[in-house]
Amino acid sequence: MQKSKTLPSSDKVLVIGGGLGGIRTALDLAEAEKNVILVDKDHNIGGLMTQLDRTFPTNNCDLCTISPNLSESGRQKHIELAALTTVTAVSGEKGNFTATLKTAPRYINLEKCTACGDCYQAFPDCVRFTPGLDHRAPTCMRYPQATPQAYSIDLEKCEDVEALVKICPAGAIEPDDIGRNREVKCGSVVLATGAELFDPSHLDYLDYATKADVVTSLEYERILSASGPTQGKLLRPSNNKQPKKIAWIQCIGSRGIQKGAGSHCSSACCMFALKEAMVTKERFQEDIETTIFYMDMRTFGKDYELYYQRAKNDFGIRFIHSRPHSILQPEGKDDLELSYTLEGDANKITENFDMVVLATGFKVGDDTKALMETMGLELNDENFPRTTGFNPVVTSKPGIYTCGTLQEPKDIPETMVQASAAACMAAKDIATTPKEEKDMVALIPERDVSGEDAKVGVFICDCGENIGAVADVDKLVDYAAKLPGVAVAQAKGHGCSRESMEQIQQTIIDEGINRVVIGGCSPRTHEAKFQELIRRAGLNKYLLEMANIRDQSTWVHGAKPVKATAKSQELIQMAVAGAIASKPLSEHSLPMNKDVLVVGGGVTGMTSALELAEQGFKVYLAEKSNNLGGVAKQLRKTLEGDDIQQFVTELIDQVMAHKLIEVITGAIIVDHNGMPGMFSTGMQVGKQMFYRQINHGVTIMATGAQPNRPEEYLLDSHDNVSTQIELQTMLEEQPDAIKRWENVVMIQCVGSRNADNPNCSRICCQNAVKNALRLAEINPDTRIFVLYRDMRTYGFQEEYYQKARAKGVIFVRYEMEEPPQVQAAGEKLEISFNDPILGMELKVKADHLCLSTGLIADKDSTEELAMTFKLQRTHDGYFLEDHVKLRPVDLAMPGFYVAGTAHSPKSIRESLVQARAAASRAQTMLVQDSINLGAASARVDSDKCASCLICVRACPFDVPFINAEGYSEIDPAQCHGCGLCASECPAKAIQLMQFEDDRILAKLEKLFDGLEAEA
Amino acid sequence: MKNFEPVIVAFCCHYCAYTAADMAGSQRLPYPANVKIVRVPCSGKVDALHIVKAFEKGADGVYVAGCLEGDCHFKSGNTKAARRVEYVRKYMEEIGIEPERLEMVYLSAGMGYRFAEVATTITEKIRELGPSPIKSATAGQTGQVAC
Amino acid sequence: MITAERKPLEELIEYVKPYKRILLLGCNECVTVCAAGGRKEVGLLASGLQMALLKSGISIDIRQHTLERQCDPEYVEEIVSMIAGVDAVVSMACGCGVQQLAMRYKDKPIFPAVNTKFMGASERQGVWAERCQGCGNCLLGETGGICPIARCAKQLMNGPCGGSAGGHCEISEDVDCAWQLIWDRLKALGKEESFVEITPAKDWRSGGGSGPRKIIREDLAE
Repeated sequence: MQKSKTLPSSDKVLVIGGGLGGIRTALDLAEAEKNVILVDKDHNIGGLMTQLDRTFPTNNCDLCTISPNLSESGRQKHIELAALTTVTAVSGEKGNFTATLKTAPRYINLEKCTACGDCYQAFPDCVRFTPGLDHRAPTCMRYPQATPQAYSIDLEKCEDVEALVKICPAGAIEPDDIGRNREVKCGSVVLATGAELFDPSHLDYLDYATKADVVTSLEYERILSASGPTQGKLLRPSNNKQPKKIAWIQCIGSRGIQKGAGSHCSSACCMFALKEAMVTKERFQEDIETTIFYMDMRTFGKDYELYYQRAKNDFGIRFIHSRPHSILQPEGKDDLELSYTLEGDANKITENFDMVVLATGFKVGDDTKALMETMGLELNDENFPRTTGFNPVVTSKPGIYTCGTLQEPKDIPETMVQASAAACMAAKDIATTPKEEKDMVALIPERDVSGEDAKVGVFICDCGENIGAVADVDKLVDYAAKLPGVAVAQAKGHGCSRESMEQIQQTIIDEGINRVVIGGCSPRTHEAKFQELIRRAGLNKYLLEMANIRDQSTWVHGAKPVKATAKSQELIQMAVAGAIASKPLSEHSLPMNKDVLVVGGGVTGMTSALELAEQGFKVYLAEKSNNLGGVAKQLRKTLEGDDIQQFVTELIDQVMAHKLIEVITGAIIVDHNGMPGMFSTGMQVGKQMFYRQINHGVTIMATGAQPNRPEEYLLDSHDNVSTQIELQTMLEEQPDAIKRWENVVMIQCVGSRNADNPNCSRICCQNAVKNALRLAEINPDTRIFVLYRDMRTYGFQEEYYQKARAKGVIFVRYEMEEPPQVQAAGEKLEISFNDPILGMELKVKADHLCLSTGLIADKDSTEELAMTFKLQRTHDGYFLEDHVKLRPVDLAMPGFYVAGTAHSPKSIRESLVQARAAASRAQTMLVQDSINLGAASARVDSDKCASCLICVRACPFDVPFINAEGYSEIDPAQCHGCGLCASECPAKAIQLMQFEDDRILAKLEKLFDGLEAEA
Repeated sequence: MKNFEPVIVAFCCHYCAYTAADMAGSQRLPYPANVKIVRVPCSGKVDALHIVKAFEKGADGVYVAGCLEGDCHFKSGNTKAARRVEYVRKYMEEIGIEPERLEMVYLSAGMGYRFAEVATTITEKIRELGPSPIKSATAGQTGQVAC
Repeated sequence: MITAERKPLEELIEYVKPYKRILLLGCNECVTVCAAGGRKEVGLLASGLQMALLKSGISIDIRQHTLERQCDPEYVEEIVSMIAGVDAVVSMACGCGVQQLAMRYKDKPIFPAVNTKFMGASERQGVWAERCQGCGNCLLGETGGICPIARCAKQLMNGPCGGSAGGHCEISEDVDCAWQLIWDRLKALGKEESFVEITPAKDWRSGGGSGPRKIIREDLAE
């Protein structure tokens, strides 16, 4: 359980909101040894993501990936977690805020609760446990992974409080809990409350309020979820039958479409609708029809366009470009009647569906709005906080930062990036405290147990009757005591209570125990705790084995106590065998080099370098060309109107002036070796190609992407054809010439979303809108045509798109199969295209044709860098992050981070967010003095190795290699500990520590020995 | 063999099936006590030798439980495990053990109910198949010695 | 490398069933690399044999060991103490290893546990393909590095034959026509002219046509 700890004031960050964003911010800060108070109004942290079934673009459940994140935040000693808590006021200034926190009563003492579940069993109505069976169930994983790992009581629903109090074996229920109010000091605040989902109840034409089969996308997630209300069975809420035909309607509550809807685009809905449709198709194949009604498919993220194509081509999802007019259900009918029209056809079409899913977007919640107003933040028209142009995590009030969907609607990966960036900013405003003296009592030295006969100590918990009420604990103790190698067997009430832990520790010391077995709960939740315990008792922490007799026996065989006892015996016997076979392991550690190498001197690399230098780290900034600035030097203004030139110039000055940054221009990286925390990179520098080697602990890849320039539509062969970047320069430099233009045509997706470059370049739609608006400003009479496939002005960009339409810019949709045709007509250009609304071909004689050519990865350079640094790339040459959903900044190679357009196309604003995120992620590693590499790695016995290469080929992470001596070598620093090599090695030369063959076989052997003994 | 209680070894991946088993526990979803779990870091860690040895020692059934397709914490461990299970099934045929006694199953960490369901179906299947021929043969042997 | 594949259990059972104690002997060279007879396969076979025998009511003490290499007398010497305690040896090495054992331990029955297949190369994880037949007179220099003896079903010296179609051999779609490969490679090397040169009939004596072969390095031989 998390202990509340009094921390000195003003050296901590207050993080409001315990969703994914808040957790990431808190973890980044805590890992960088900064103190955090993480508050969440709910009784457990986790937020919205824990309610999702699967997530795009992997269609994985990903809860296995997030749950360690959740429990991590409970473990961190720098995080004080305040659940059921709201912030009612924040006063003061940057560096010295005072926040008032109001904590609602949980009626459960976290120190005492062991999450045994007895209260929930007896009083299911008044205990908030929600394992995922009810409609508002937060998640299938909220328990057992929940943090804090404890229940909470809804006292209002309880009729017999006395009986409820009595049921708790740990005496943890406290009906007199009144919650508390308190004030905390903090240096900075991160607002990560997230946004709420739009409630479509008032939209009578969608009939969400009255028709059970019209559901929101989140409700649909719950229906699909394995532990949702239907246990993952897809059933129509109205009649519990499997639907055959489902429609999704996009943009509900977004793009200013409906009453009460925000004017922004909610950015994530296209992707989650695709995901829901794909998961549905995947499960029911031909048995189900899925149709998505959309306005523009906005699949602009990394590899998202491919996802869209897969949905269309491989899954057979039907896409209809239309906004349905209404959903009706004729009296006495089961079906929902959707009416809509198609482009270029005025006739109304009616089609029946079994279910309709409304893709509801994001809006700012009233609570959050009130809180921001109390804080004195400036809000935009949609009540989102106003943020700075080049640093979107910075609000109007110094010291207060924001991230995630509250900043602007976005998906999970972008939330994760922004959360790390917010951590980077917030860390700068708090008082630095000298590194804490290790508050642990000096540990007694580890005892050398080699050569000793096994003396196993078996400690069996009754877990407050969770075990004891089913299995006969005394019998288990007697049984264990007789097992060969067992010196001591004891029953322990609550093994994990402080009292029992102290007793166990003393017994180990007094009896000279050299192996320990805990018979109780899951190693997943308690192994670390007991490892620490036996270490305190002078044993190597790996001389431990846990028999999970609670989760695997008494909980599931409660109705069969005899069998439960017998099975518990077997599990204990297996654990004893495993413990005897266990060996002391040492955790590998290395000294940390605290210098940083940033590769790429564009705005992203410079920003990362500057943030880290300001935190006191030495940074080498290596740039391939002879100048800093990168592509941004060609750009003028952002969509929001910020001056890029001024920004880049100032940034270069700051970087050049910083004494901790060494800029190395003309640097070509030629070699690289070492391991995370102590890398060494060689480069050839300058005209003389002088060789230089840099030692560094971490690396940030900020190598950017390059403007695409495909040979299409007379680009480079007609003077009046340009790219958006060139047009922007002309707009700034020759407005008088431009004033004379009568017709201007822009073509979108040139060189993007095609066979050569299948992904969306993300930035082109906003650039077209930006330049169109500027053109209209210079000469309101110029006719501007934008020929597009889908307008992808996500988030707040939608407002600029609407503005452009209002100013008379003509947007015409074209299909990839029928692209516009361009011919030179002297000075001018003749562009012909089909107008789907008019249903006819139009010809425009344009003074200027502007192509939205987007970005492409510099494949040659990323290929070389990927080879040198052993990094993975996407098919289109961008660096591939470790986890596309949850770790979008970390690369698979520990100690490597990616930022900016080297990751995927993005705007300057977005690149800068990722630059700060990379700086934040890097700091979590840089603060460490040594790197603990753990002990669970594969080891090669070179005497047995036949150098057959099977391990080299089997490893999913390319770690094993045949060394100079001719044997396989596995670097423990890079080994992920999966054991694939060990299980494939034909010479049995590889063993995975903690899961050695003899240990697994010993368990198997003893399992059957035990059975024979019983027989 | 009226009251035959099969012994089934389940090699469970730490990241999915093992967590699902905990989940089944916390939701108190009953399944037969015949299933004994051996925790592994990845289903791909389960060696062909471990499976064969389990049968040699007397298991009536074995299953390897890995993550859902595409969900492997280590990218491809579960698909490799599935191939290995196929290989061992063929070997079992040679040895004279019904290959149906070995199975590969896929689970996600959240699938507590599915864990219980799988444990139940597999136990029932093995119960129908009867004791493993190896176990019967061993019993026969010891019987002979006793005579 | 020499490749091999484990024999069917049925055949091995026939070998070992008359005995009480056997030694299952692996080899840490070629057969380990091709996953046929290394430490792991020894373990798998020991367990499998034990079970299969049990089913026939036979119980045999199977001991396991793996030598660095079975085709060298010094390594084979290593098991001299083990040999005394067993009634027979089942070797998981290639034919060379089995014979080395048989020669050293004259009074002990020695059985092969694997079928030695061919000299091959690893194409990828788990796949090995025949590449050499030890003809004793290598002509890879003339055939662009592709051996028509090991890879042409007819061992043609001047191919391809009429059965070559679409790059495949007529015996199977899965077999590449060696002469097609040779042509492609020669073309890539710009040596098309050597393709049309007629290779004279091969003298097969160097390939074992005149009896078992031996190599003697006079400087090394004692």
